Amino acid sequence: MLAKTKSYALNGVEGYEVAIEVDLNAGLPAYDTVGLADTAVKESKERVRSAIKNSLFTYPIRKITINLAPADTKKEGSHFDLAIALGILIANEEIESQTYKDYIILGELSLDGTINAIRGVMPLIISAIQNGHSKFIIPSKNAKEASYISGIEVYAFDKLAEAADFLMGKSQVEPLKTSEFVSIAAENKYSVDFSEVKGQYVAKRALEIAVAGGHNVLLIGPPGAGKTMMAKCVPTIMPDMTFEEAIEVTKIHSVAGILDDSVGIVVNRPFRTPHHTATVPALMGGGVNARPGEISLAHNGVLFLDEMPEYQRRTLETLRQPLEDGTAVVSRAKRTLEYPARFMLVASMNPCPCGNLGSKTQECKCTPSEIHRYISKLSGPLLDRIDLQIEVDSISYDDFRSVVANESSASIKARVEKARAIQRARYEGSKTKTNDEMTNAQVNTYCALDKMGEALLKNAFTKLNLTARASTRVLKVARTIADLDASESILSKHIAEAIQYRSLDRKYWD
Amino acid sequence: MTYSNDQKALIMLSATDGYNARKKRFESVDRPCELYDDYTVADNMIAKMEKSGIKVLTIIDEDYPKTLKEIYDPPYTLYYQGDRSLFNSNDLLAVVGTRRVSVYGKNIMQNFATAFIKSGFKIISGLARGVDSIGHRISLENDSPTVAVVANGLDICYPSENADMQKRIAERGLVISEYPIGSKPLQFHFPERNRIISALSQGVFIPEAGDKSGSLITADYAIEQGRDLFVVPGNIFSPQSAGCNKKIRELQAIITLTPQDVITALGKVAKNNNVEAIQLDFASQAIIDILKDGALHFDEILQRSSMNIAELSGILSQLEILGAIRKLQGNNFEIIPLI
Repeated sequence: MLAKTKSYALNGVEGYEVAIEVDLNAGLPAYDTVGLADTAVKESKERVRSAIKNSLFTYPIRKITINLAPADTKKEGSHFDLAIALGILIANEEIESQTYKDYIILGELSLDGTINAIRGVMPLIISAIQNGHSKFIIPSKNAKEASYISGIEVYAFDKLAEAADFLMGKSQVEPLKTSEFVSIAAENKYSVDFSEVKGQYVAKRALEIAVAGGHNVLLIGPPGAGKTMMAKCVPTIMPDMTFEEAIEVTKIHSVAGILDDSVGIVVNRPFRTPHHTATVPALMGGGVNARPGEISLAHNGVLFLDEMPEYQRRTLETLRQPLEDGTAVVSRAKRTLEYPARFMLVASMNPCPCGNLGSKTQECKCTPSEIHRYISKLSGPLLDRIDLQIEVDSISYDDFRSVVANESSASIKARVEKARAIQRARYEGSKTKTNDEMTNAQVNTYCALDKMGEALLKNAFTKLNLTARASTRVLKVARTIADLDASESILSKHIAEAIQYRSLDRKYWD
Repeated sequence: MTYSNDQKALIMLSATDGYNARKKRFESVDRPCELYDDYTVADNMIAKMEKSGIKVLTIIDEDYPKTLKEIYDPPYTLYYQGDRSLFNSNDLLAVVGTRRVSVYGKNIMQNFATAFIKSGFKIISGLARGVDSIGHRISLENDSPTVAVVANGLDICYPSENADMQKRIAERGLVISEYPIGSKPLQFHFPERNRIISALSQGVFIPEAGDKSGSLITADYAIEQGRDLFVVPGNIFSPQSAGCNKKIRELQAIITLTPQDVITALGKVAKNNNVEAIQLDFASQAIIDILKDGALHFDEILQRSSMNIAELSGILSQLEILGAIRKLQGNNFEIIPLI
């Protein structure tokens, strides 16, 4: 008899239906998988056979042909095991079920018949829902992840035998209960807080502005100034993720296989710190399986590039496109994938190779050409996408020992959320979400200056040697400062403050 | 422009390495054209030079600058781009110094170079990093013609980050080299070109120079060629001022404390360099008072003032634009001293 079970396969963060056809033929015992299956799928032969045998079913001694349709797309991964095993049992009439065709079956098998966790449950289910499916059989280890999706019936099992019993109607199993996102989000807190950062007032203010307007930021300072610590605190002042945002992030993390199965959803904004030896595929996504890269894992969160000039120039340049349009495009031989990658870039660097340039306590030992080479590793177009550049210095001993309570992340976050609300109202109906994403036309409309502001900006450019490309950046940052100030128009004091956050534009670096 | 065989011979001679070697060959014949039989090399070079607008003056030309002819080792060729009338200008003041300028040196340059230009001087320097670049930059900013003497062929730019500056000087001033196109900035070129800087100038001003600075070679040439040498004394512990202080101890230089010292010594009238009195509001004055004792970090100013970050950032920017204070590396601020 021919059995036809349904499963799903991943292409990036989108899934597509795979029909698994199992046919038992007369002939010498054999097991053939057709339909462009990769090694992991082909190896399912051994897992499926042992799992069936060890679940006390009979493995058919016949010629087994398995076809994965559509037959012309490459399929990878081990999550077809369960669908194949159930298909064999149905074809062999070990299981008599009329309902099995309603279910999308996902799961990897262990030799003893246990169903193992798989990658990508959330994106697979979401794609299936979009295609009109509503019933699922999944590994119980992935149950948490699937439980956040409402309006569907998900059945989670530990053993092949349990799933078989369920399909035969021998056992009554309740579908998973939907988990409440809000309560989970409240339980999970960040491990750092801005109140632990002593001193560094101006840097904290700059980060507040950066988060409020969705701007990218570069921290410049000597080693030990606390750049990394402050960067880690950035997610703590970002507005809480909405359920939709959390789902977006969870889908990517699920595909990458780094999801925490005990929580099942990403509630905290991601904070990713790829090492400076990271390759282009590691950052952008790619590799044999076209996995999402660090920039996609940082989607809706923070990508922190520590010691930015140490990264390979080529690697940094690839960031330009995603910074612009918020997606990472991965091209493989036969397909092109798109992963979302809308992240806030927080970068850090030393002012010079030895790190002591401009320090009051240490002497810089770098030659001018060394400093020049170091700074010029950051290309103009990349710096163009970083709105705030702020210098931080090592904090003084007094600050370090000070017991004065610093402002907590929660109170900074409250201000950020207010400013974000103003921006949401302003950009309603357009694609823009934050000040950083403003188009040129929007800059002209929303960043109009009064006469005093115009004069100030003009003076700033001539007197302070600001480069021309800084102009729009200053305006956007000034818009955010005005929003934090709940001011309808940009006043000259907002411009004046924004100018302070353009350190690298000042030509005193020569 | 057509060149005579004598001129072509000198162009070809300029490709010989080392001044003494050139001198020997030049003096071995009565007329330079006796040195070579075939001038295709020179013709090729001239064709290339014309494409990039490079011209040449040779020592046998009538308008070869007198100031150079008088020195012991005048260059046989002067390749140039720009305004040739500057060769014979009586207003050239050499401003040279360390490549690693300290904040002190930058302050001196900002004050002195501007005053020199306002009094009618034109700055001649070597297009190197540090003091040289600052001198040229201030000239360009003040629309004052400036002269750069480089140590390589004019088709090359060294240091490369000054390429744009070199182009602008060629448009509004004069770029000079003793070396033919294609010459690299070799180590021994630099001391050789320094004699041209001092010879073309009325005096040599050194704001900051380290113990081994190349600008001290220019200083020695200045004394040998009978030009006035002006140096600014510096902190005895600062390596960037060691060379200047040494010249003072050796009693070879005029101690310079104000721009007027240079200006009047060279027979010009000092123009008032003072910025108009700046009207400050109460808040700005408070910040100036805080900064009176020296440079402070933003966070330190914040702690000593009663303002919040937003207000303070705004006021600091405004003071910067007014020219009352300046931002230093590391987010430090200081008052701009006026002399």
